[in-house]
Amino acid sequence: MTQNTTQTSADQGQVAFQIRHRESIIGSYRTEIAIAIAIIVLALAVGSQVPQALSWGNFANITQAGAPLIIMSLGVLLVVITGGIDLSVGSVFSLTGMVTAQAMAHGFGGFEASLIGLSVGLVFGSINGFLVTIAGLAPFVVTLITFAVAGSLAFIVTNGRSMPIGDPDFWLLNSGSLVPGMPNYILFCIVLLVAIELFLKKMVAGRWFYAVGSSAQAAHLLGIPVKRTMFLAYVASSLLASFSGLLTISYILNAESTAGSSLMLQAIAAVVIGGASLLGGTGTAVGAVLGALMITVIQNGVNLIGINSFWQGSVTGVAILIAVLIDRFSKSRRGAG
Amino acid sequence: MRKGQYNAGFVEEEEMKSNLHKHVALATVALAMTLGANAAHAQEKKTVAYLAPSLDISYWQWVGYGVKQKAEKLGMDYVELTSENSPAKQMDNARTAVTKGVDAIVIGPVSSTSTPPLLAYLKSQNIPIAFAGIGPQPGQTDYTSSVTANNYETGKAQGSFVCKLAKERGGNQVGMLSLPQDRENAQKYLKGAEEAFKADGCDLAQMLETRGLTINEAVTQANDMLTAHPDIKAIYGMYDEAGTGAAKVLETRGLTGKVGIAVADGSPTTIGLLKANAIQGIFFQEAVGQGIDGTQQVYNALTGAAVKKDLALVMPLVTADKVDSPEAKAVIARVFPPAN
Repeated sequence: MTQNTTQTSADQGQVAFQIRHRESIIGSYRTEIAIAIAIIVLALAVGSQVPQALSWGNFANITQAGAPLIIMSLGVLLVVITGGIDLSVGSVFSLTGMVTAQAMAHGFGGFEASLIGLSVGLVFGSINGFLVTIAGLAPFVVTLITFAVAGSLAFIVTNGRSMPIGDPDFWLLNSGSLVPGMPNYILFCIVLLVAIELFLKKMVAGRWFYAVGSSAQAAHLLGIPVKRTMFLAYVASSLLASFSGLLTISYILNAESTAGSSLMLQAIAAVVIGGASLLGGTGTAVGAVLGALMITVIQNGVNLIGINSFWQGSVTGVAILIAVLIDRFSKSRRGAG
Repeated sequence: MRKGQYNAGFVEEEEMKSNLHKHVALATVALAMTLGANAAHAQEKKTVAYLAPSLDISYWQWVGYGVKQKAEKLGMDYVELTSENSPAKQMDNARTAVTKGVDAIVIGPVSSTSTPPLLAYLKSQNIPIAFAGIGPQPGQTDYTSSVTANNYETGKAQGSFVCKLAKERGGNQVGMLSLPQDRENAQKYLKGAEEAFKADGCDLAQMLETRGLTINEAVTQANDMLTAHPDIKAIYGMYDEAGTGAAKVLETRGLTGKVGIAVADGSPTTIGLLKANAIQGIFFQEAVGQGIDGTQQVYNALTGAAVKKDLALVMPLVTADKVDSPEAKAVIARVFPPAN
């Protein structure tokens, strides 16, 4: 009898723990769930006007169009969580494409050229990280400088001309299938999403990013390597921007010096829509990916319905406003509770 | 003896000095004559300045190439200034060019509406100016020449060609990837195309306007357009990247050749696609040719020869089957420099 009672209590405790765990997951992803619902509502609204919007083909369109932005947003997120900003990602994206295409034009194979392209991200990320952490310059100023320099170099590399991709197999990077049935661009997005989310949530080094963003001084007093963490954030951001650029040129088999010009603001917008604060200390990879998806769905919807594309910026602006208001409202409720 | 020696030495020294003075005087006269001749030559040699709206777009580089080539042939010096898409910088550049002593200007303006104060200033300085690519604001007359594409007639011709492509593929729905419609040339293209569609029995199912003028954006737009309107049988690309983007989408969807593409402007990339039958026609905008013709007109103005005020060039069509013909090669030579 006593044993039965004990058993029942243990079961109840287990159930209560599971419910609390589920609630804590839901609670910690409240903003992301709201964005996911908003995306679904948006897609349904577009689908009510243009039925093809809900087709499998259009899903492929959205994921393909959104993949570079998703990857870039994940990098920008890391910087934003530490309380910084990276304005150079669009230019690094363009320069990577131009350098990679130029390397192929000089006889390098796709793989070697890609490594050369990725080195652009490594170099610019290191410059950003060095100037912010060692020289102590403001991230806005530093990345504004590298934005200008990388953007300028993207023109210099080929004198402003677009460059076709020389390696005929280079399309496999984007559209091949390392996992049967799944195009690589989706695979890369999923792998990076899971890896960065787990890193931020489950690993000590990931937690340092939040600590640095919440208060660099406090983090320093706690023994967290603040400068190293910030440096890594900038390097990761530029590397992911470079990778995003590689994926894009692999898709369209052309490199353009202006290709990334609109992506920087979109990436920052995606991160903010996803619940990250530009003051640092908050944000999730899931949120950044959903933010990027929302921007892509808006662009897709505007095109499908046939609204003048100049409205895209306004619609995206309203989406950011709504996301920020939802986030603020939910935080104030939690605070009141 | 000593005295004689001394005297002889003195005389020698005096002679040497006298000779030296003669040589210096002769050299000075020769130098002065050379410098004078050079100055006279420099005064005779005219200089043309090319004011580009921005040099990050290949088109404006190619216009500049045309200006430079023609200037060399005409024995003119060439200077290049970029306005970085700013009307204020454009005005500053014009003043800088005049201060540097240029004799004529060929300009790709930032916009038509930015030109009235510029024209007033250059008129006050008596500097001939030719427009290339984009013309002056309607109503302005104080310019030497305007060499532009005839966008309306080209729009009509391209519209007819696109409609023909659609009908050959068993439909009459066409899609359009457009330049921003706040541009005067885009409005003219569209007006011409719409008239052609109406006359030839085609429907414009959808038009999407670019913002970034990139291939990537054109890919997204062409994808979205074909998703919303799967019956589209031909695509009208109003700018070069639109053709490249649309061709990429058709390739991905296995629709190459099944949906026709005609594009305006032309570049090595789209010529490659034309040769591969991924697109069916290019209406070439003669960027180099506009630079050449504009330079010729300002030179004519400087030398008192006859000037053609408005040169609206109809953009010639080159189709896949004729891309290697001598006529097509002559057209392409007026589009972009040979190094491309």
